[in-house]
Amino acid sequence: MTCTAKKCGIHFQPPSIILIYEDQNQEKTRKRIMPIRNFSKFSDCSRAAEQLKNNPRHKAYLESVSLRQLQKLYSLLKGHLKGQSLAQSLEQVQREEAIDPEEDMNKLDDKELAKRKSIMDELFEKNRKKKDDPDFVYNVEVVFPQDEQVESCGWDAESDEGF
Amino acid sequence: MAAAGGDARAELDVDVDVDAGPGQEKYDAEENVKIICLGDSAVGKSKLMERFLLDGYRPQQLSTFALTLYKHAASVDGKRVLVDFWDTAGQERFQSMHPSYYHKAHACIMVFDVQRKVTYKNLSNWYKELREFRPEIPCIVVANKIDADMKMTQKSFNFARKFNLPFYFVSAADGTNVVKLFSDAIKLAVAYKQNSGDFMDEVMRELENFDLQQKGEDFSDKEESCPEEKPPST
Repeated sequence: MTCTAKKCGIHFQPPSIILIYEDQNQEKTRKRIMPIRNFSKFSDCSRAAEQLKNNPRHKAYLESVSLRQLQKLYSLLKGHLKGQSLAQSLEQVQREEAIDPEEDMNKLDDKELAKRKSIMDELFEKNRKKKDDPDFVYNVEVVFPQDEQVESCGWDAESDEGF
Repeated sequence: MAAAGGDARAELDVDVDVDAGPGQEKYDAEENVKIICLGDSAVGKSKLMERFLLDGYRPQQLSTFALTLYKHAASVDGKRVLVDFWDTAGQERFQSMHPSYYHKAHACIMVFDVQRKVTYKNLSNWYKELREFRPEIPCIVVANKIDADMKMTQKSFNFARKFNLPFYFVSAADGTNVVKLFSDAIKLAVAYKQNSGDFMDEVMRELENFDLQQKGEDFSDKEESCPEEKPPST
């Protein structure tokens, strides 16, 4: 079966993940409701997302849905179960999504580092020019003039003498 | 550790097996160069590597040495050059690299993420450590992930200027200046090797000769002939 995911969202009551997808064989748009069981406000969202993605019944349908997105949906549900408003949960998810430019990632453990990397990978994949893209160019050279007129990055200033 | 100069010989007494790792003798052979990558976690070192080599890469995970090796055959001035790119495989999280990582390196690519100030700040630590082991090798400073914020390319970063190092704005995602970066690094590595005036290299050679004389055996051509250490032909 070949299907292309169009939209993926969550339903709080009864808790379920909803997928709108296109069945390429029949050129039809379909909706799949995947009920969420055994999930509480204490559950681990990453694990729940992984389990759903690897569930033999849903696996084929969720291939083009990223693990990150499923995690986000579970986080929203978790927020709801904790009694947060949707706005609060969304804000929290967004906060977790943000990369702290001051954070020293050398000090993170494997799991935390992998989490940051997967957040940054989303942008990487979005901006990525792949080898098979029709407009792919192997050697892209761009000259960025670095004369005295350019503005300082502001990262040197306070401890320039440290370098 | 002491800076480069007269203390170098004393430093060599430190009991570290610098030859640890995949047979480093081969880097003495004329056609082999070793280029190392440095920089914080998640600045995109491996992604740059993979963008340059595309499908041609054959990374070797050497988990015993916390190291990923990428082999590449290049051509410089019509001559075939076998390049080993050394990537950190997470070793940067120990805040410093094992001395064998630096050993016999001919050039260094030092990467930071234009989105994260801390990775730029840490360049000075990486650079300091690099110079403890390799006082003279060419080092290129790389500002990666410019695709995330093109405005950063209009800013000046003083670190490279201060140490008079070549500086590139690159993006592993859209490919900007990636090929140029690696081609230039290979050229610099080869040029360095040809006119190696590195004090540490001289000391190393001297010590090796000294060792051989002491054993009273004639292995003077040892450096050229280590066929078992050569990488499989590409």
